[in-house]
Amino acid sequence: MLADAIRSEAYRFGKNRMTVFWSLLFIPVLFAIGGVIYHLVTKARTAEMATKLNLPATMGQEPVNLAGDLMNGAGAAANGAILVFMLVAAATLYAGDYRWETWRLITARNSRINLVLGKLITFALLAVVAMALFMLAGIFFGVSQAIVFDRPLSFGFETGEPGKIGLLIGLSWVRIIQYAMVALLTAAVTRSLLATLFVPVVLGFAQTLIGGPGLPLLGWAPTDWAAQLTLPGLAFDTLKAAIMAEPAAPAAPEGLWLKAAVSLTLWTLVPLALALAWFQRQDLSKE
Amino acid sequence: MTAVIETRDLTKTYGTVRALDGHSLSIPRGGVYGVLGPNGAGKSTLFRILLGLIKPTSGSASVMGGAVGDIAAGRRMGSMIETPRYPPYMTARQVLEWLSIAHGLKSDSQRIDRWIERVGLTEASNRRVRGFSVGMLQRLGVAAALITEPELIILDEPTSGMDPPGIQEMRALIRSLADTDGITVILASHQLLEVQRVCDRVAIMNRGKLVREGSVTELTATGERLRLSLTPMAQALSVLGDKGTIEGNAVLAAIPRAEAPALLRALIGQGIDIDEARWVGADLESVFMTETGSVQTPETIHAR
Repeated sequence: MLADAIRSEAYRFGKNRMTVFWSLLFIPVLFAIGGVIYHLVTKARTAEMATKLNLPATMGQEPVNLAGDLMNGAGAAANGAILVFMLVAAATLYAGDYRWETWRLITARNSRINLVLGKLITFALLAVVAMALFMLAGIFFGVSQAIVFDRPLSFGFETGEPGKIGLLIGLSWVRIIQYAMVALLTAAVTRSLLATLFVPVVLGFAQTLIGGPGLPLLGWAPTDWAAQLTLPGLAFDTLKAAIMAEPAAPAAPEGLWLKAAVSLTLWTLVPLALALAWFQRQDLSKE
Repeated sequence: MTAVIETRDLTKTYGTVRALDGHSLSIPRGGVYGVLGPNGAGKSTLFRILLGLIKPTSGSASVMGGAVGDIAAGRRMGSMIETPRYPPYMTARQVLEWLSIAHGLKSDSQRIDRWIERVGLTEASNRRVRGFSVGMLQRLGVAAALITEPELIILDEPTSGMDPPGIQEMRALIRSLADTDGITVILASHQLLEVQRVCDRVAIMNRGKLVREGSVTELTATGERLRLSLTPMAQALSVLGDKGTIEGNAVLAAIPRAEAPALLRALIGQGIDIDEARWVGADLESVFMTETGSVQTPETIHAR
């Protein structure tokens, strides 16, 4: 049953401490510790500069708004470099049964669709946990800033910001899932944990190159269908910009959001459909 | 008697190779059933089809009354195919806990403890499996097959990699599963002596086909021979012709019981001294070698 598949994947993942650390904890912990160091260094440098310039040593005393740090944390989870760490979890979930030859232990008692969906849903839940940890790290960043600079804390949204945070969290989550779908397809086709980790990374890197210097070479504008459909990262950035846009910002070209939404949807559903079709027919005795 | 497994004209081809070739078999409920065959006979292919890991090219197979792949039927079966492997970061206990969850069971540490104890892994239960020997992995594999308390288990080479005391313990466990727990055990092994000791019935496969099936007693009885301690052996062999072979210090005569008195009279008439004459059953190994064409005759030896 699907619930059994989800519970068993979650149990197994939880016992893999190395993967839990590298995929979920490492970046938020690094971000939190790095934040403290950053604030301390900034304070020291500021004091040094103030002494040199004969200025008052204290910075502005306006409150640190944790809502902003929360938004930064939510947005950071879908950052390309950070996604690589999430891929460690995806690769372990999707390719672990090939690597450890454990498909044969679970296939007789559950349907293949349930087994794959169990992995997907577990990863989707882990993505939520990862994002929550990023947001916590964002808040820790703000709190440490307030402590180091002796500034008061505040938590306030401007009009419409809670909705934006909600949309941004949802969009970041979709981007993580979309990225992991490529990993799922890679796992099913290659049966290799390393390939599951590296193929999406290499593909993502190639897409980043195309999205940067590659676009003019190809003669594409970022708003073109071709660019949006080829580059899910660009589609994510397009939608993120649309969510975060100030009311006074110039309007995006007509249909751009639709192109971006179609791109992210296709990059999510097509690898999933291919992976399921492949896995249904796969000889699982050759692991 | 209800069949736990039935195959009908089951065929599986890999390219031009027919791993299973019109295989038909009915395995009855209860007891220990051995599946024998040389490498490449199709045993593993048969098991993989029964577990739903691969699909047959043609024919049909059912497990516990349901078609292969039927989840309800699959939930009544446990298996250990080849040397089992597990996530190396898990302990033996965690593996069983994980599989219990995967199979929809509530966490029950008493059940896990019971099976860990029965396969002799109590002391190693909290050790990570990455440090396990092949024999320990086999024991854990048997516990994993049994953790759901199935009605049927398939064990492929369960004693592979085990030391002699371990093999003895495993044999006792397999027998008790059938006799005490009422589980039907299907066992594949190359250790024919073990199979003979532990199985009630066996199927012998060769080149993807079922070549012989029956109870161990039936199979070995058909190869019954008269063992004669006598001198001179050469003269006795000339009387016996192609029905006689030498085994150690005795001559084995492959004749029906009804012909024994006449044979003995003939030997005595030739002046041969007979010290002892007794019937000996064929062991499973000789039946297996005969059925799979692995018997070494002078012709096959010269041919090499």
